[in-house]
Amino acid sequence: MADRSTRSPVRNPRTPAQELLDELGPVTQFHDTTHLGAFGMPSGAMTEDMLSSVATAGTPTRFGPLEKVHAFWFAGMSCDGCSVAVTGATLPSVESLLLGAHPGLPRVVLHHPVINMESGPYYLQPAEQAMAGRLDAPYVVILEGSIADEVVANASGGYWSSTGEEPWGPDGDLRPVTSTEWVARLAPNAAAMIAIGTCATWGGVPSAEGNPTGAMSLMDFLGKDYRSVLGVPVVNVPGCPPIGDNFTETVAAVLYFLQGFGPLPEFDELGRPAWLFGETVHRHCVRGAYYEEGQFAKDFGDPECLVEIGCWGPVVNCNIASRGAIMSVGGCMNAGGACIGCTMPGFPDKFTPFYKRPPGSMASTVVSRMVGSVIRPLRKFSNNNMNREVRWDRQHATPSAFSREKSEPSALAHVNHKFYDALRRSGDTSRNDADVWGKRQDEAPSGGSPRTRA
Amino acid sequence: MCFKTLPVEFDERGNAVLRGGIPNPYDVTVAKPDVDLSEEERRERIESLVARNGHIKDLNMDPVTRIAGALAVHVTADLDKRAYLDSHAQATLFRGYEVILMGRDPRDAIFVASRACGVCGGVHAHAAAYAIEQAMGIAPPPLGTVVRNMTEAAEMGYDNPLHLYLLAGPDYSESVIRSSNPELWPLAERWSCPNEHIHGFKTMSDLMTALNPLTGALYREGLEFTRLSREMVVILTGKYPHPQNVVPGGVSTTVTLQTLNEYHSRLGKIFDYAQRMMAVWDDIPAFFYEADDRYQFVGYRPTTQIDPGYWDDPYAYDATYENCNEWGEKRWSTPGVVIDGELVTTRLTDINIGWEEFVEHSYYEESSTTRFAQDMLGNPLSPYHPWNKRTLPKPGGRDWKDKYTWACAPRWDRKVVEAGCYSRLLMTAMAQKIPDSDFITATGTSMRLLVPKGEVGEREVEWHAPARWNALERNRGRAYHYLFSQLVGLESLLEAYKLMKQGEKRVAALDPSALEKAIPQDERVSVGWWGAGRGWLTHHLVMDKGKITNYQICTPSTINASPRDPWGQPGPYEEAVMNTPIIEDVSDPSRFTSIDMLRAIRSFDPCMPCTTHVHTGEGEVVREVNTCSCGGD
Repeated sequence: MADRSTRSPVRNPRTPAQELLDELGPVTQFHDTTHLGAFGMPSGAMTEDMLSSVATAGTPTRFGPLEKVHAFWFAGMSCDGCSVAVTGATLPSVESLLLGAHPGLPRVVLHHPVINMESGPYYLQPAEQAMAGRLDAPYVVILEGSIADEVVANASGGYWSSTGEEPWGPDGDLRPVTSTEWVARLAPNAAAMIAIGTCATWGGVPSAEGNPTGAMSLMDFLGKDYRSVLGVPVVNVPGCPPIGDNFTETVAAVLYFLQGFGPLPEFDELGRPAWLFGETVHRHCVRGAYYEEGQFAKDFGDPECLVEIGCWGPVVNCNIASRGAIMSVGGCMNAGGACIGCTMPGFPDKFTPFYKRPPGSMASTVVSRMVGSVIRPLRKFSNNNMNREVRWDRQHATPSAFSREKSEPSALAHVNHKFYDALRRSGDTSRNDADVWGKRQDEAPSGGSPRTRA
Repeated sequence: MCFKTLPVEFDERGNAVLRGGIPNPYDVTVAKPDVDLSEEERRERIESLVARNGHIKDLNMDPVTRIAGALAVHVTADLDKRAYLDSHAQATLFRGYEVILMGRDPRDAIFVASRACGVCGGVHAHAAAYAIEQAMGIAPPPLGTVVRNMTEAAEMGYDNPLHLYLLAGPDYSESVIRSSNPELWPLAERWSCPNEHIHGFKTMSDLMTALNPLTGALYREGLEFTRLSREMVVILTGKYPHPQNVVPGGVSTTVTLQTLNEYHSRLGKIFDYAQRMMAVWDDIPAFFYEADDRYQFVGYRPTTQIDPGYWDDPYAYDATYENCNEWGEKRWSTPGVVIDGELVTTRLTDINIGWEEFVEHSYYEESSTTRFAQDMLGNPLSPYHPWNKRTLPKPGGRDWKDKYTWACAPRWDRKVVEAGCYSRLLMTAMAQKIPDSDFITATGTSMRLLVPKGEVGEREVEWHAPARWNALERNRGRAYHYLFSQLVGLESLLEAYKLMKQGEKRVAALDPSALEKAIPQDERVSVGWWGAGRGWLTHHLVMDKGKITNYQICTPSTINASPRDPWGQPGPYEEAVMNTPIIEDVSDPSRFTSIDMLRAIRSFDPCMPCTTHVHTGEGEVVREVNTCSCGGD
């Protein structure tokens, strides 16, 4: 197996997906549901039909050509954390997509094991229809979790990760069908293949060093030449877990474009939505300014920059510090958690051992400490001045009983503040000699400056 | 004497010893549990029935939806006798997290193990931290433990409504009742809800309509409250399901008054909702029992449950195995084992030494060892104990008589035990060892819970241990567990304020450089006992020369989804399905939906991602896998 995962695709033009399908051979038949009766259909209807009364209520407001889109959600070697993250999304929310309640978007017919009412063969019937080209609308495939190397498991008659059974065994016997196989068979005719989460986008923890399953990413599985029927390569929304809103926003952005009113969404060279992953998480970090001023957390729980307790934020593409984790709340560094690079292709093995400072920070923290040692006192000096009312400066007194920090500035500080104010007011137009014609002569001068006008 | 099957006795000082004079005391042919029906007898019975009767269906439901992860359930259903004759639970996913952890720095365990499950990801990070702390001998400062308790209370606050309204709830919704149990719908329309004044639904049919998937008011409200509780989690952990703040020896959360207030303000919204949730899940069983008494037996299992306790006393927890019985019994939720309705122990050491895992019907190679004959206190350990196991993954064909699942078969004292969040209520109620609280009281047979005033007034509610554990009681227990967990969150929040008042700021025992120096170089053995949304969670760890040499996770769904054991005892899902009567109308066999089985299975809140795993010993597993897979044996 070691050679299977280290073999270069340059030397082997067949993708792992092609290898698997070559091994399994073509399939010709699907479940015969006539003898199945209602088994696994407790609500007597497919989820799509149950929701359609709401999803298609009244006259649909059409913004573009698409009325509905199927979305097949498959879990490979997954922890279901991406599903959980997406149930937390509200920008837009899953329920609004499913109920056709997000203006302008087609309703999304989601086939998701955690949401759907039907179980067993009925659950997979739409996937069969998609394979047979009989589905009534375009479909996208969403993969959560890494792709297992099922060629290895198949060699001993088993599987690593299966989703349902199909009559694809010898003599039409039912056999477990792996999620990997579903993905391979559905990819060629999909409108888009979307990998959600770091396992599906880059392999993630299941593909970490020492893994027994040969786990890989969707990109690795389908190969660099893969294009959907719309000509799109694999779209990647990473994160472990991803921010739910990053995923639903990406899906929405693609649909805004397809409906004709949205701009062409920009994806970076790894298929990530560029507007979400174009910046390092450090650039929007709520603790980033501590770095600028050279102040670093020493103990877990300290409020300063976390780089020296193991944060990789300055070199990690992510937006959690500005977007928040759920409902715009949270964010790793916001709460005190050091970034371990969970959105990155190098996760986890390029970031371990955790809780250890990145070696690269040795140089940069020295520089920022030097710069910070100059900037911080200057800022503190100005900050002291700004913490005073103009009135207090005039009266040389601060009526605060809270603490001695509000005591009057020293004579030297007072002079320096005056000098600073002079600099600030050097271009102040209130010094021009225009006549303030609406003001009575006996009125007291007002606001804006500690120095009254001459 | 808590052990009946294993030959383990206690000396006068309470230490466990092996009964003398038994060669191979742990051999599966020596210590045997009482089994009502052997696997051979069951199979013969089914075969003779199949031969005589055409109304027997052999069906495999793959996948079972509205659970977390990948589960398939095979049933043999006798539609004439309205019984499930046979059932096999199949976990259909393997990822090998423990193999990946082998040979790594122990500091990696928290963030790697967290990824075992994304449905309740926080719990694995915490269990890993407890295992590492015990191995390294570092205990968190009180505020660290309090933040963990607050996090984990909020995590339950997300998990319970997720299950009750998104996963299980639709089974009791209008859409399912009108299709699968049409005879119940006219009854539901006439049945006035006793708790209307709390939840606002006049009749049961109104309530069932509100349970409809995606469009129902209760479904949507449940989804919103999962979001609210997740906000509470990420205020402390940064993100969810994989928290970013758990460190060996504490947490890395920056705790300020703003942190506490943001948590507090959200928690304040939950108590009114908890009252409505309990009212809903009290009315549903009442309606079903009244409509048809057979619902008492949907998902029925004997009262045989296990739980290692949850939410530590910040002043008692010292991260040692030596004192685990003392600090274990001070947990908000008391550890314990209940066998046939009797509480047999509350000691974590007993829970640990009675634990074994078997792989006769799982896709693994057998490999038990006697590497650790005793725990750190000299108590005897089985060769099948997680510290001793070296089980190797071996994907293969499915055979009901042989191997059919990626889950293994954990047993305590070789008995089939069940895990659930409701087990916390049961253990805590029976043990009556819960710390003093203004809000929570254990009475021996019930839990009295005081709901603080929100927009509706303060109210005392009481959960009574049910005489018969079935699908409806599991769901009811989950609704009360929701309140229990939120009250623990409130108690912990108040403790955090108190610590802050005392000027306490420390949330972790060691800083990162001290942590690196504290990694021991000798061999250490440890266990993290914790809980998940479905109950029991343990991480067993062995480390040597500063790296992980064995890592094993046992989750509640590993226990509940377990296959047959060496004595043919079916796992809890299988047993519950076989006890379930087929109540739906099957006069026309083609209308058989298997809804009664689905209600039984979903009441356990199956969570499969972390259920399947591998235990391994010496880091040789990758080579072994090469042999067994590529060699095509």
